Amino acid sequence: MPKIRHARTKKAPEGFEDIEETLQEFARKMKDAENEPHEGKRRVESLWPIFRLHHQRSRYIYDLYYKREAITKEVYDYCLKNGYADGNLIAKWKKPGFERLCCLRCIQPKDTNFGTTCICRVPKSKLEEGRIVECVLCGCRGCSSTDFTSSKKEKPKPKIENEEE
Amino acid sequence: MVTKADPNKQGWEESEFPILCETCLGDNPYVRMTRQGFGKECKVCSRPFTIFRWLPGAGMRYKKTEICQTCAKLKNVCQTCLLDLQYNLPVQVRDTALNITNDAPRSEINREYFAQNIEGKIAGGDSLIDYGKADTASREMLKKLARTEPYYKRNRPHICSFFVKGTCTRGDECPYRHEIPEENELSHQNIKDRYYGTNDPVAKKILNRVKGGGNSNIIPPEDKTITSLFITGIEEDITEADLRGFFYAFGEIKSVVVVHKSRCAFVNYATRASAEQAIDQSHNNLNIKGHALKIAWGRPRPTGPKTEMQAETSQNIILPPLESMQIPAPPGEAEPDFLYPSQDPTYQGSSTKS
Repeated sequence: MPKIRHARTKKAPEGFEDIEETLQEFARKMKDAENEPHEGKRRVESLWPIFRLHHQRSRYIYDLYYKREAITKEVYDYCLKNGYADGNLIAKWKKPGFERLCCLRCIQPKDTNFGTTCICRVPKSKLEEGRIVECVLCGCRGCSSTDFTSSKKEKPKPKIENEEE
Repeated sequence: MVTKADPNKQGWEESEFPILCETCLGDNPYVRMTRQGFGKECKVCSRPFTIFRWLPGAGMRYKKTEICQTCAKLKNVCQTCLLDLQYNLPVQVRDTALNITNDAPRSEINREYFAQNIEGKIAGGDSLIDYGKADTASREMLKKLARTEPYYKRNRPHICSFFVKGTCTRGDECPYRHEIPEENELSHQNIKDRYYGTNDPVAKKILNRVKGGGNSNIIPPEDKTITSLFITGIEEDITEADLRGFFYAFGEIKSVVVVHKSRCAFVNYATRASAEQAIDQSHNNLNIKGHALKIAWGRPRPTGPKTEMQAETSQNIILPPLESMQIPAPPGEAEPDFLYPSQDPTYQGSSTKS
């Protein structure tokens, strides 16, 4: 969650105001997701929207800095420091094989019975035919890098409208 | 195991390996299991025991051990399915056949005392059920009743309770089975009755098959159009010619179908009388090439849809060209040839007597 800005906090670096509006939009969506009622949802399902928004927001910053190089290092560092993006998650995205990683819990082998990763990390080609995967940790439907190499346009998560990609 | 400090204190079971039957383990020889010490209480004696949990093959549900090893060894049953380890039959069937009396106490205190004493006995030998003691006839009967192959269908996921209520929102992702459950006496079972071998509906059904079942198979079905006989126990070396040779003695045969894969065969007679004669003569007396075969009446066609098309595929039916379309025969004269699944009266699974 981004830090609260008040009088004594450091001023945002130049260029931050360009992305501020989008980040506020994310914050608003996150607030909505937090306040959403859990009735009718399964127990594991309740946190999925949070994970999804968190992924989207980090992805937005990551793309701006590493892919499109639209923001400066200062702005990027400021975003990380203030919790607009998840530095640990972005660190994984830089590694081969983890380019589309959905969340950090899904690659935590200590959390599983047999020391494996989540089912969503398994490439579609390795799964049995017609198997629909929806991981319990974050609701990811498959984030293996090889699933995205053929069709670059496909995104792991449906992106929100105002985000320019 | 009795703890050292207090000889009367109940020891808790801690085991390294479960006692399971082949079916419960599944078809995969490389099973991974998780083990949890004192994970739950035994559903029979309610003492804590070690839970094992595993996935018996792809598309199956996770299974776990339900009763403790003392209880399992006492009756020589699988820890999960509570079926006899040697014959894969319910306890009640086995006990009736082998004339084993049920002397395990069911009250809480005595049960624990009994379990403790039994544990000491088990430590020496392995099984308390002596199969060799019983006479050969009952052992033969058990062997006949037992399945020859493991029945993996038992390991399928449970039926989705939300689907039954009509409120399942998960659709294809739902890991549970989307089927309407059959409601019969077999749907009311409970684990204690199955363990102690009292009012077990499955056992009752199997025992009925033994007692009166021999006759129910040869009573001619009311449907007079059935002239086919169903023969089971076909081995690889029995050919169609063998069956034809044996059954021709009773009357003219329309056709013989042998399915070696499922080890069964169908003999279709031209007349009902010859079929009745064949089953009268050969019931319990059918021996071809040294194999004892079982014979029963064929069943009427299942009342499922006659057309192969299912609801999903009904949108993309290829219409036959106009030339090939013929004037339909008046109803009741010929086997109707359906153009669309919706024309088939049996399409929704409803039974219509033809």
